[in-house]
Amino acid sequence: MTLYIVPLIFITVLLISLLKKKNAYSAFVKGAAGAIELMTSVLPYLLVVMVACEVFRVSGASGAVSEFLAPALEFVGIPRECTELLLLRPLSGAGSLSVLEHIYEVYGTDGIIGRCASVIYGSSETVFYVSAIYFSKSNIKNLRYAIPLALIASFLGNVIGCNICRLM
Amino acid sequence: MSTIWIIFMLVSITVLIFTNPWAATVAMIKGANDSVALALNLVALYGIWLGLFEVLEKTGIADKLAKLLRPLVRKLFPGESEEAEKFVSMNISANLLGLGNAATPMGIGAVESMKPNEKNPSKASTNMIMLTVISATSLQIFPSTVIGMRAAAGSANPADFLFPCIVATVLSTVFGIIGVKVWATISDKLSGKLVFGKKKKLELRESVK
Repeated sequence: MTLYIVPLIFITVLLISLLKKKNAYSAFVKGAAGAIELMTSVLPYLLVVMVACEVFRVSGASGAVSEFLAPALEFVGIPRECTELLLLRPLSGAGSLSVLEHIYEVYGTDGIIGRCASVIYGSSETVFYVSAIYFSKSNIKNLRYAIPLALIASFLGNVIGCNICRLM
Repeated sequence: MSTIWIIFMLVSITVLIFTNPWAATVAMIKGANDSVALALNLVALYGIWLGLFEVLEKTGIADKLAKLLRPLVRKLFPGESEEAEKFVSMNISANLLGLGNAATPMGIGAVESMKPNEKNPSKASTNMIMLTVISATSLQIFPSTVIGMRAAAGSANPADFLFPCIVATVLSTVFGIIGVKVWATISDKLSGKLVFGKKKKLELRESVK
């Protein structure tokens, strides 16, 4: 399904530009030129988030915090094996993907742990990354309640998702 | 953001200085390296999506899409310019299609073209928070990465988790939207009272004079 989305978008858009006799080539070049400039403002934020995520993971602090939170999370229905995934998911896509892979290897994909992990990864986003990057070109330094609210909302979604997994 | 970052860094590095001091430097360099590698990848992707966006703009498809989504966008993001509405509609469409990397440049554009916070321009406005929360709670209906990984790991039924996953995604976004709306209403009422109080005080002072 998703396989076809991108190619289909391109075919449709290019056909429309032909029909409307608009120069798609020069427009595309003009748009693409903005990519490097965009990245120069995004990169510092990318770096800052990823450096923090890596030390957090390597130091074992993420493991310790997971250990600490696991009983509470288990109480609301999230398997303790998924705690670190839940913790790292908002921080880093690559970091949490390797945790997900590890879970699949150790516990399999089709048990309750594997399915809950799939739900946690599939239903949430890298909250910190999105929040930092979206504001990278503006002068706004204070995001107010955006991050805590996004984290709480994702967490509630995850709790409900994992509990449905248990019922299924 | 800055407080959270400082806590993460301080705690992790303090732990490392006792357990494995060398690893602190290595981890920081690895994080930075990863971010540069990711940045190079993203420049390429942004190039494609920003190029496509320009074509969408030129052919008028962007306007059509914005018009189509306008009722929804106006409800969620009241009082924005057409330019900002266009970026928001593109951002939401890309997110719905699971094209997170295409959504990012549109999100940046949307924040840039939104009206600044009236009270304090260095703080995010309610609409900006709404955009961040909607994107950060994930709108992706079809998590292709996870399905692919499950298939690769030998799952008997790679799409088995889809139902709870979709419920979780949709509910988290709904919770987020409700949260922003509730928060905005409450803080409006509170600040309204404050302004009202100040006005009254001023009036009182005037009358005393």
